Amino acid sequence: MSEFPENIDPAIMRGLLSPRLSRRQVLQAGAVAGAASLLFPSAAGAAVGDAAWWKGKTKTGLLNFANWPYYIDSYNGRHPSLDYLKTSKGITTTYSEVIEDNPTFYQQIRPSLQSGSSIGYDIIVMTDNAVGLRYLLNGNYLTPLDDAALVNFKKYASTSAKAVYANSAKRLIPWQSGMTSLAYNSSKVSTNTSSLKMAFDTSSSNVAKLRGRVGMLSDPIELGNLALLALGKTPATSTPADWQAAATKLRQQRDSGLVKAYYGNDIISELKQGNLWVGQVYSGDVFQARIGGNKNLKLMNPTEGVLLWTDNMCIPKGAEHPRDAMTAIDFFYDPAVAAVLAYYVNYITPVPTAKAKLTSPAAGWQTTTMTNLKKDIGVAASLIAAAPEVFPTSAYKLKTYYAFKTQGEIDLWNEKFAGIPTGS
Amino acid sequence: MEREVRWYSYRFVSGTRRRERLVSRLAPYLLGLPAIVWLAVFFLIPLALMLVKALQECNPATGVCVMTWHWSSLSDAWTNSSTIIFRSVTYAAIATVIDLVLSFPIAYWIAFYAGRRKNFFLIMLLVPFFVSFVIRTVIWKFLLSSDGLVVHSLQALHLVSSDYQILGTTGAVIAGLAYNFLPFTALPLYVSLERLNPALLEASHDLYAGRITTFRRVVLPLCAPGIFAAFLLTFIPAFGDYVNQQVLGGFGNTMVGTVIQNLFLVNNDFSAGSALSVIVMGISLIGIVIYGRLLGSKSIGDFV
Repeated sequence: MSEFPENIDPAIMRGLLSPRLSRRQVLQAGAVAGAASLLFPSAAGAAVGDAAWWKGKTKTGLLNFANWPYYIDSYNGRHPSLDYLKTSKGITTTYSEVIEDNPTFYQQIRPSLQSGSSIGYDIIVMTDNAVGLRYLLNGNYLTPLDDAALVNFKKYASTSAKAVYANSAKRLIPWQSGMTSLAYNSSKVSTNTSSLKMAFDTSSSNVAKLRGRVGMLSDPIELGNLALLALGKTPATSTPADWQAAATKLRQQRDSGLVKAYYGNDIISELKQGNLWVGQVYSGDVFQARIGGNKNLKLMNPTEGVLLWTDNMCIPKGAEHPRDAMTAIDFFYDPAVAAVLAYYVNYITPVPTAKAKLTSPAAGWQTTTMTNLKKDIGVAASLIAAAPEVFPTSAYKLKTYYAFKTQGEIDLWNEKFAGIPTGS
Repeated sequence: MEREVRWYSYRFVSGTRRRERLVSRLAPYLLGLPAIVWLAVFFLIPLALMLVKALQECNPATGVCVMTWHWSSLSDAWTNSSTIIFRSVTYAAIATVIDLVLSFPIAYWIAFYAGRRKNFFLIMLLVPFFVSFVIRTVIWKFLLSSDGLVVHSLQALHLVSSDYQILGTTGAVIAGLAYNFLPFTALPLYVSLERLNPALLEASHDLYAGRITTFRRVVLPLCAPGIFAAFLLTFIPAFGDYVNQQVLGGFGNTMVGTVIQNLFLVNNDFSAGSALSVIVMGISLIGIVIYGRLLGSKSIGDFV
């Protein structure tokens, strides 16, 4: 019961990940495919990503990997797992921490994708709740992965990771997952410690205690979904009427004086510095802050539930080194590698057996790396293995985000929530 | 000298007088061509494109924009953001006035009393600004945070209560703007004061004007173009700035730059973002024209 997402309704997972095509998009796709088949009448019968296409893709020994900052093991300015990829598989990785947020990154790569050229990266990592990933799936910009190359994945991936792969028509494979919840400073706050009410209760007594000490995320997706949870709604099945209620709730919270400001990834440093006492956070950041010495910073496990998101690896169309990317994706599902990643990044690994590998590491590379990393991290691997934030127990009620069905819904959502952080 | 050149051209450019006159008439435009091309490519065309984008409807997934001539995007942008626009104008104006008040004595002192060390003091004024704009602002954030140097010291002296905060307040945003744009005020003021002939001050004195009268009737009018330039150079960037507000402010003091940034980068709503940019641009231009008519001087070009 230790690994995550088993307690997620598979129907929700499916709904979350299967791209929904409008009738018009289907017609457009058909027209494009038709035009393409006229232009290239005999592309050897191989469509991008099918078995015949993959057969023609060979190893180049090079890989360009785009990821978010602080999202891979680091030691002495190097990434041990990528060094291991080089020694064990002969692939040299150029690792770029260029993804700061989903919408901006999508707009950066879109022109290249549309022109059919390479975006310069063979693996990118995008969040499942992000509109940008939906555009990538709907726009058919991702390469279906080579099923035959997924050896570790088939053996070690969690049920939910396999569901992500299956429901995305083989185009997504989880990198790490995480929870969005509240974190609070237990030396300053002692009421409502197991309810989102802590940040949303606008009664005068709560406001008097927490005036200007609450921080929320400015991302409209995170903001809206957490407010829905606070209202007692299930975000995945919420309606526009619920969104309106959630937006009203957020405005009340803001205008009561509770909220100090709306933040991006920097909210964790505000909590660490003591500017904030309560904040909407990503689970891994809080866990890292806590083992880094901020002992009073606690991740809340609210009765209303926590939001679960998954960052997925995918191979964009036009990637120059697809075979190497494929090898690398499967490489990260080696439990020894997954354990090292879990030890360092403290998010939820899609490899449940990594937990056992944390306490009894494999001889050789993993043992050496973990010994080195321990010098930086400072805590024993067994502590990570036992942490509910990294290996959530069934005590966490994991909820998925609302999955947009149309552009109209995205616009409506933004209309409701995007103005809140700017005071409108 | 001029006559000599004329004579030279009459003698050796043996073409007709008419052609010669045409060339001399075109000369200023030809000389201005690089600047005109520059303005067209980097100002007029982007401006036109911005207006076009505002009237289009864009699909954020594909980036494809279709012309729909919905002028309502402009009025929508105005209704949605008028409060924030007024707020931005107010903040920028307050910051500019603070800068003028602060930098006038500095510029005056350097211009009249720094003697041989003028350049040294000018460099001293500029050195902090060699550090990147964003980094300077972020460092202020550390200094002003709840457990930072400033708040802690004030609390230790019992000057403020234990829950006193600077970050997130309007004051922090305006202070940040004033700090970051100070050189844009100080330098034009210095240039105009430096040009002021000290003999005029002595003359004013000889004519029995007191210090205050001399300042009011001689110094201020003579450096009006400098004040005008300083005001514009400070006010315009402060009006559109979003860094100070995002780093030092909270939601209650959002400025229009932040809203435009969010429209483009978070919502991917290019049309609404462009519409709001057009409005901000329009307000700035109209404001400058009116201000120039009221207070401006022909010699502004000397300072900008």
